Amino acid sequence: MFNARITMPAEAKAGEIVEIRVLTRHPMDRGGQSDGKGGTVPRKILNRLTATYSGEPIFRLDMHTGVSANPFVSFTTRAVATGDIVFEWREDGGATFTRTARLTVT
Amino acid sequence: MSRALALLALAGGLFSGAPVGAQVASGQVTSGSAFLSPDLARRQADPTRNPGWFWVEQGEELFSRKPAGGAACLSCHADPASTLRGAATRYPQVDRGGALLNLEGRIEQCRVERQTQPAFGHESQELLALTAYLASLSRGLPMNVAVDGPARPFYDAGKAFFERRQGQLNLSCRQCHDGLVGQKLRGDTISHGAGTGYPAYRLEWNGVGSLHRRLRACSLGVRATQFDHGGPEYLALELYLAGRAKGLPVETPAIRR
Repeated sequence: MFNARITMPAEAKAGEIVEIRVLTRHPMDRGGQSDGKGGTVPRKILNRLTATYSGEPIFRLDMHTGVSANPFVSFTTRAVATGDIVFEWREDGGATFTRTARLTVT
Repeated sequence: MSRALALLALAGGLFSGAPVGAQVASGQVTSGSAFLSPDLARRQADPTRNPGWFWVEQGEELFSRKPAGGAACLSCHADPASTLRGAATRYPQVDRGGALLNLEGRIEQCRVERQTQPAFGHESQELLALTAYLASLSRGLPMNVAVDGPARPFYDAGKAFFERRQGQLNLSCRQCHDGLVGQKLRGDTISHGAGTGYPAYRLEWNGVGSLHRRLRACSLGVRATQFDHGGPEYLALELYLAGRAKGLPVETPAIRR
């Protein structure tokens, strides 16, 4: 089950540095266990998180099997203009999850 | 003189570096949170970093969801934030039928008898989520279980379980969780065994689990019989632990190692 908790200020002054915290619910199953039928369970982790700010890429995180379940990451960006920050996770197998947060610049 | 001062300074250095558990007063039960590293304690207190809140969120959603052919929890328990605040502090408790029920047991009873739905099952994500949600409504309130009257025989059974040597290692719960609190066991600090943070997010589990799952791990650790989730042995022990922890605040969802 996927879920995400994004914490960032709703408003910022132009030029201000804002901190964005992203906590994700995901088992991050690295696979390799026996499936009981002679095969192995495939890896199923979130392998990439990207964030765009008004369409402009601002952050990318490639994740591998060493990343724990329910990963947490924080990063900063400079508030430029009012716009949406769109977070997109890519899961093994091709599924994607998105969340959007609005940053209002005063 | 200078040598005595140096010794004092050395002693001071040793004590300031001692684990938190070493400052535990004897005879007084402390919360498991007192034994966390400073970093984990900060992570537990910060909802932006504590993954246990995902289960609370899921529980809140399940609470208001209407199952097919039944009523939602919310249709009877309106405004749970005030009407169910404090409910978790009184569990485990003896039901009208004479059985001892913990919070999980009460949720399952409600689900089967009143919502006429199939039980979730112990350690299912749904049951953990609902339990974590209900317990989180009592955050900060002191534990206050009844240990007298109809609960007395269960409490006594739990106390006897706690004090009985068991398993291949021939240890009782009390030998460590009363006698060796604050000392190290397999890289972790021994606590008083207060279950006030459960269901808790445990790093070892990569998820939220119940107190009974934790107790099963304890039983395995002393190579004793592991009892069933929700079985009478662990229910009685849970009541005894809750009685011992009387007055400690509910901390669900806590983080434990």
